[in-house]
Amino acid sequence: MIMVNGREFPWEEGMTVKRLLELKQYTYPRITVKINGEIIREEEYDTRTINDGDNVQCLHLMAGG
Amino acid sequence: MKVLKKNPEKCIACHACEETCSKLYFKEENREKACLRIKETDSYPEITTCTQCGVCIDICPVVALSRDKRGIVRVEKKKCVGCFMCVGFCPEQAMFMHDDYIEPFKCVSCGQCVKVCPTGAIYMSEE
Amino acid sequence: MILKEYKYELGKIERGYNNRSLYINLSDNTIKEKEVTQFMKDKFIGGKGFGLWYLWNAVTPETKWNDPENEIVIAHGPIAGITQYPGSGKSLVVTLSPLTHMPMDSNVGGYFGPYLKFSGFDALELQGKAEKDVIIFIDGNKGIVQIMESDIEEKDSHLIAEILTERFAKDEEDKKNVSVVSTGSAADHTLVGLLNFSFYDIRRKAVRLKQAGRGGIGTVFRDKKIKALVVRFEGTKGNLNNAADQGKINRTGIKLHREICLLDDKQNRMRKIGTANIIEIMDQYDLLPTHNYKFGSHKDTYKISSDKFQARVTQGLPDGCWYGCSLSCAKAADDFIPQTGPYKGQKVIVDGPEYENAAGLGSNIGVFDRDGVLELNFYCDTYGVDTISFGTLTAFIMECYENGILDKEKTGGLELYFGNKEAALELLHQMARGEGFGKIAGLGIRRMKEIFIKEYGADPDFVNDIGMEQKGLEFSEYLCKESLAQQGGYGLTNKGPQHDEAWLIFMDMVNNQIPTFEDKAEALHYFPMFRTWFGLMGLCKLPWNDIVPENNKYTDEPAKIPEHVQNYVDLYNGITGKNIDKHELIRQSERVYNFQRIFNIRMGYGKRIHDKIPYRAMGPVTEEEYLSRQERYDKQLKELLGLDPENMTTQEKMAALRKYREEQYEKLTDAVYARRGWTKDGVPTIEKLKELGMDIPELIEVVKKHL
Repeated sequence: MIMVNGREFPWEEGMTVKRLLELKQYTYPRITVKINGEIIREEEYDTRTINDGDNVQCLHLMAGG
Repeated sequence: MKVLKKNPEKCIACHACEETCSKLYFKEENREKACLRIKETDSYPEITTCTQCGVCIDICPVVALSRDKRGIVRVEKKKCVGCFMCVGFCPEQAMFMHDDYIEPFKCVSCGQCVKVCPTGAIYMSEE
Repeated sequence: MILKEYKYELGKIERGYNNRSLYINLSDNTIKEKEVTQFMKDKFIGGKGFGLWYLWNAVTPETKWNDPENEIVIAHGPIAGITQYPGSGKSLVVTLSPLTHMPMDSNVGGYFGPYLKFSGFDALELQGKAEKDVIIFIDGNKGIVQIMESDIEEKDSHLIAEILTERFAKDEEDKKNVSVVSTGSAADHTLVGLLNFSFYDIRRKAVRLKQAGRGGIGTVFRDKKIKALVVRFEGTKGNLNNAADQGKINRTGIKLHREICLLDDKQNRMRKIGTANIIEIMDQYDLLPTHNYKFGSHKDTYKISSDKFQARVTQGLPDGCWYGCSLSCAKAADDFIPQTGPYKGQKVIVDGPEYENAAGLGSNIGVFDRDGVLELNFYCDTYGVDTISFGTLTAFIMECYENGILDKEKTGGLELYFGNKEAALELLHQMARGEGFGKIAGLGIRRMKEIFIKEYGADPDFVNDIGMEQKGLEFSEYLCKESLAQQGGYGLTNKGPQHDEAWLIFMDMVNNQIPTFEDKAEALHYFPMFRTWFGLMGLCKLPWNDIVPENNKYTDEPAKIPEHVQNYVDLYNGITGKNIDKHELIRQSERVYNFQRIFNIRMGYGKRIHDKIPYRAMGPVTEEEYLSRQERYDKQLKELLGLDPENMTTQEKMAALRKYREEQYEKLTDAVYARRGWTKDGVPTIEKLKELGMDIPELIEVVKKHL
C-alpha cells in the first residue's frame, strides 16, 4: 500500500510514476509529483519506481476558470 | 537583404559596436541603448543580434512592425503602443527596451557597428 | 439628434487615476463630472470598488433593478490601460441585478474601459431612464460627451457595434480607436441580458465582442433605454497612466511575455485555444457538468474537445482583448455560417468558444456537437444573453421536460430533451423575439421554479434540488459534488455561484491539500480576496495562473503562484508610487469584499440563509445519479460514516449521504465565516470592520441591526 495525496492506494511491484498516473487516470498536463517530499522530474516518470509504503503526492496545479 | 551576422570566436568584447550603435541611434554612448549586445562569458562573448526573421511582425497587436523595402524589420514608433510583446517573443532576444523610451528598438542593418569592429566578429551578409 | 452635449477639460492621468468620474442621468439628461476623492481611493481603490460605492450612494434598500435610481457603473482601475502586462484592459460593471436584486459585478475585456480612462474618467455612472433609445458618445480627444437619440434599426450587438464603429471612426485606420458597449434583442425580453464590449480587430478588419455576462446587466441597460455607449480615443501609448515607475512596469510585463512565449505551448495552450483547453480535462476528472449537473463526464465529450474547437479557431493572430495581452485567449471562429435564426446563411465571427460556453451550451444540455455549440454561442452573444445562465437554465428546463414537469403543450411545441440542439436554438430565438416559452425561460431558474411549482404542480423539493441557482443567479459550469471547498467557492460568495471568487476543486478533491475545515476556510478566505483584487485594478485573472513560471513548483505555495503575486505588487507600486506588499494587497480586497457583503445585507440579503446551495451541487439527487457513481458513494458511506451499504436500499443510502453532506456544508460555512471575521449568520463584525479601517458610520449602521 502507498499513500497518494493522503489517501491509501494499492501498490504493485515495479510501479513507476508513469504507471501510477495511468492507474489514477491523472491526465492533467501540469502535475507535480513528489515521492516522500522529493520532486520528481518529468523525464524520470518512466523510470522512477515507487516503493511500497511511499508517500506520493500528485499535485495538480490548477486554480480554474 | 543585408543582415548583421556574428562570429563570437573573434569577439574581444571591446564593446565599440554597442557604443557606436547607441550613439547613432540615440545620440548617447550607452551600451544599454544599443541595438546589439555583447555579453562577456567564461567562453567566447555572447553576441546578440537581430536575424530579421520577422517573428515579431505577427506578434504585434497594432501592426507597428513591418519590413521596409530592403526587407529589414522596422518599428513604426507612431503606431507602437509600447506593449513590448515583441521583446518577450523575440527568438534571438534582440528586440530591446530601455526605461527612457516607451517603444522597443532593434537593429536596422545599417552596418555602422561593423565598421568599428576591430576583429571582424560582426559582419554584414547578403541573405 | 443630439439631446444634450457637455464639454469638459481634457486632463492628464496621474499615477493611474484621473481623479474624476463622469455622471449621466438619462431621465433629465444631466451630464456632470464628479471628484474621485482620496477617501474613495483609500477605501475602494477603483474598478468594482468604485462601482459598488457609487451604487451604494445611488440606491436605497427599497430600490428595485428597474427603478430609475438604479445605476450601471463602468469602472476600470488604477492599473488598467497599461499595455505591458497581459490582461490589463478590463472594465468592471456594477448594477443592481434583475436576477438577484443585489449588486452584481462583471469583469469584461474590450477597449471601452481603457479608452474611458484615457478620455479622462475613472468611472462612468449611468442613472435614470431615457424616454426613447439613446446613444451616449464620449469623444476623449475633443472633450465632448453627447446624448443622442438612436436611429439604429438593428437590434443585435454584432451589427450595432459594427455600425457605430463605422460611424464614429474617421476612417479604417481610426476604427481601433472606437469601442462600443451594446446588447441585443433578448435583453429587452429576458432578465439574463449581458453587455458586449467591442474592440476592433485590425487584422481581421472586424469588430470583436467581449461579454460582461453575468447577472442581467444588459437587461438593466435596455430598461434605461440605452442603445449603446461609444467612446473614441486616438493616441493610445504605453505610458498614458503616467506611472510612478514606468520602467518597473515594462520589465514586469516583458518578464511575463517571455514566460508565455516559452511555456504556454507546454502548459495550457491559451494562445492556441484559450480557456477551452480544459474541456476534456474536466471530463476526465468527472467535473464537466453534463445533463444539468447530474454527471461529470460523457462518452461523447470527444466531439466537443478542445482539438475540435482548435481546428475551427483561426490560429496565429494576436487575439488579445486589450493591447499587450500575449496570453491572447480571445479566440474566434471566422466565417461561421449559422443554420438557423435571422442570420442563417450569413458569414459571421463567433467570439470564443470559452470553456464555460462549451460546457454550458454543450455537455450540460447534452449538445455534443461543436458547430451547435458555436451557433448557440454566436446567438447568445449577439442577442445579449449570458451563455452561462442560458446553458444552466436550459439544462434545468430539459431535466424538467424529461421528468414530465414540462411537456410539448407547456413549451409551445419545443421538445426540450437533453441533446435537442434545434429546440435549444429555438428557445434562444424566442428569447430574442420575446415570444412563447422563451419568455418564461428568460426569467431565470429562480422564477421558473416558482412558476413550475405554482402553475404546473411540480414537486417543490425536486425542482429546488435540481435548479442550479443560488441568490437567483445560475451556477457556472463546474461540477462540485465531490469538492466541499468548491461548494463553498460557489455558495459563500457575494454575487452568487460564479467561480471567479475561488476555484478549489483540484486543490481539494484531487490533491487533498486542504483536508480540514480550517484549511478549506483559509483557502476560501485567501483566494476570494486575492481574486477580488483583479476587479479593483481593471485586471484579468487568467495571466495569474493560466501560465506559471517554470520554477513555480519549487516555491512554498505553488497554488498561489508567488512570483506572479509579486508581479502584481510591483505593478501597483509601479503605477501609484506606493509601497504595498502582498499582505496589504489582500487587505485592499477585504475592505471591498466586506463592503459588498454589507451592501447585500442592506438590500435584505447577504446572510447565512442566502448562502445555501441546491443539493444538486452537493450530491446525487436522483437514483440515476447515485447508481451512476455507486462505487464511489458506497465507499464513502463505509469509510466516512461507518455504514454497511450492502444492507441498505438506494433510497436509504442517498438519505444518509445527503444528511452527511449537508452537515459538512454547514460546518464549512461556520469555519469560513469565522475566518472572514463574520458572525455565524454571515455578518461582518464591527471588530473586523475596525481592523480593516472600514468602520464607516453608514456601514456600522447596517451591520448593527444584524449582530
